Amino acid sequence: MNVQSEASRNFSRRGFLGLTAAAAAVPLLAACGGGSSSSSAGGAIKFWDMPWATPAYNDAAKKITESYAPTGSNGKAGYQIIQWNNFYQTFSSAIASKTGPAVSTGGGFQAFQFDQQGQIAYADKVIDSLKKNGQFDDFLPGVLDPFKSDKGYVAVPWQLDMRVFWYRKSLFDQAGVALPTDWASLLDAGKALKKIGAFGFATGSGAGNNIGNHSMIMMMVNNGGGVFTKDGQLDVMNDRNVEATEYLLELVSNGIIDPAAVSYTTDNLNAQWKDKKAAFGPYVLGVPARVGDTSGDIMVASPIAGPHGDKHGLVFPNNIMMYKNTPSQESSEAFLTYYMGQLKELWRQKLMNALPVFKSITEMPEFTSDANNVKIVKEWQPIAKTFAAQGTSLNANLAVLDGGQALNQFTQTILTGKTDAKTALTAFKTGLESVIKK
Amino acid sequence: MTSTTTQSGLARARRGLAPGGSGGGSLNRKSKLSGQTKRTFFWLLLPSVILLVLIHGYPLVYAGVQATHDGSLIDTGNFVGVDNFGHVLTSPAFWKAAQFTLWFTIVGVFGSWLVGLGLALLLRTKIPAGGTFKVLLLLPWVVPIVVSSTAWNWLVATPDSLIPSIFRNLGLGTPLFLADPHLAAVMVMVFKVWVSFPFMMMMISAALASVDTTVYEAASMDGASKWQQFTQITLPLIARSTYISWILMTIFCVNDFPTIYLLTGGGPVDATTSLVVLAYRTVFQDFQTGPGVAIAFLMTLTLVVVSVFLYRQIRKSSVE
Repeated sequence: MNVQSEASRNFSRRGFLGLTAAAAAVPLLAACGGGSSSSSAGGAIKFWDMPWATPAYNDAAKKITESYAPTGSNGKAGYQIIQWNNFYQTFSSAIASKTGPAVSTGGGFQAFQFDQQGQIAYADKVIDSLKKNGQFDDFLPGVLDPFKSDKGYVAVPWQLDMRVFWYRKSLFDQAGVALPTDWASLLDAGKALKKIGAFGFATGSGAGNNIGNHSMIMMMVNNGGGVFTKDGQLDVMNDRNVEATEYLLELVSNGIIDPAAVSYTTDNLNAQWKDKKAAFGPYVLGVPARVGDTSGDIMVASPIAGPHGDKHGLVFPNNIMMYKNTPSQESSEAFLTYYMGQLKELWRQKLMNALPVFKSITEMPEFTSDANNVKIVKEWQPIAKTFAAQGTSLNANLAVLDGGQALNQFTQTILTGKTDAKTALTAFKTGLESVIKK
Repeated sequence: MTSTTTQSGLARARRGLAPGGSGGGSLNRKSKLSGQTKRTFFWLLLPSVILLVLIHGYPLVYAGVQATHDGSLIDTGNFVGVDNFGHVLTSPAFWKAAQFTLWFTIVGVFGSWLVGLGLALLLRTKIPAGGTFKVLLLLPWVVPIVVSSTAWNWLVATPDSLIPSIFRNLGLGTPLFLADPHLAAVMVMVFKVWVSFPFMMMMISAALASVDTTVYEAASMDGASKWQQFTQITLPLIARSTYISWILMTIFCVNDFPTIYLLTGGGPVDATTSLVVLAYRTVFQDFQTGPGVAIAFLMTLTLVVVSVFLYRQIRKSSVE
């Protein structure tokens, strides 16, 4: 008997190494693989859209796209869903191989990233069309300005992804404490809530959860600070940011932020809200439906004031962009103008978990039937700032800030509480400097 | 029975010989292939070789280009030589990730091997419902990692999760398994062992199945204890399978993205960031394509070196 087969003995070292190298290279290669793309009929516009809500949203968006009847020589439009998973790679690969879309939704700062690489077609003519058809005047205040660059409009906003404070009324009643109106009262309320086993600043920074990151920036912005100057230069160490970070550390040290929050996924955070562990905290729109409690106990709070009286929230203006690689720029513009005019249909069918960019949609009964939506439009949208704060113009560097390692490390360092504000901010600044393009 | 007799009996047993039997001799003869046969082999292999070159060769070369340039996924940018490698090798984050990857791999490989070996030996014995037991033991390997990571998260993530609650009820405090950097690192490694031991168990079971039971009978007759049979017969006879499984598991561990990313995302504060997670983040979150691909290249190089070492062990373990 012999345990060694002849086949294995005749397997040469070189052959083995080749196989090993190939096997080892698989993830490396996977990271460089091409994205999928759909072919479109000659002259037709490819519109790529993300799963912004339930599949019903994409069905409706597809219907709108396919209902487009172009005039003159403009091409029709085809609809394709692109998954969020590795979406930047999908877009990049498609653009590099000239098989990308002509028009797309996507990441909040994606248009600026691709503009930096010379791939974006400016939307000035679309804006002109919106001026002619009256939609330009329908934009909510301030939503269009962030997209204006020296060369033109990089993209057109179509929905606002807000971060606002939510609270659970019954927990405040149980703790016998009033809703916070400023940082001092938030700290006091948090201490009272802790006595009944609830957390006064619910957040999370676990796998795939960016609410923690947004909480950090939101508190800086709330205090009149922000990561950038008005001119778009890095300004991490400003006094307002230091103050906000010290305050967040105070919330951690007092147990007002859950000690396990650093590892909370969105599912964990939703469970905290559902299980009446979370009493107050920043979150996205539609929390009651998201956590499965539409009893009316979870509501939007009013903005709170920082120690200097500043009151600001955080907004991500999601946008639709056009690409230079298109069968016809005129066709892209005509389709985008049409699509902007059809957006109301998505809110009419209650498919969106975001604010619209048009005043007229915020006045539709389907929208106003939700008191939380009305409150967000009335109280939060006018004071909302973007990641570009203290500046206003969006840029490609914000993508690195939003999804990058520097902010995530900063957030997790703060949530573990084993640091001081200046040390954490210095590391944050160093991390950003190493990846942000000057 | 003398010790010498026992040793010679074990030696014969390891060679797969019945006591007093004649040996099979070495099978390490290189077969002589005719030119015609070689040509036939060449043409038969050519489609696969072309496919491999297309699937692996081209992306590998393109990745090499990206690792030596300063561009993006769209535009390769300017040639920067080995600057990206220098940048990576001088980064504390790289070495922290490398250290975690090393521990993750050591625990992943040997932890899963030990558990797999123990269970494979257990399954050799006659136990009630052995078949059912075997199927159940395969579940961690079979269940999609997304499902198992969600289940593990549910077990340990919050202070009110099942396992922290048990600890609390036992008066052992409330450990935050995913929020404490050290505990999170341990948890990820334990999770990896849990996911991987069925693979090891199957490899070892297959190796054990090929061992003739008369070998053990011969050893028993020579007076070998169970422990001696295990160390002197079982381990040597499954050595080749063991080394192969170690090579494969090393590659699996070093390249394991989902296990870590889904459970902890690499956190808290990079405590569970491995090289593959760091490479992913560098390319797709920091948009630093060159340095990210450079990390992946360094990983590949390390894997090749480790694999060569283990492959040599396989050759040494050949039974003459």
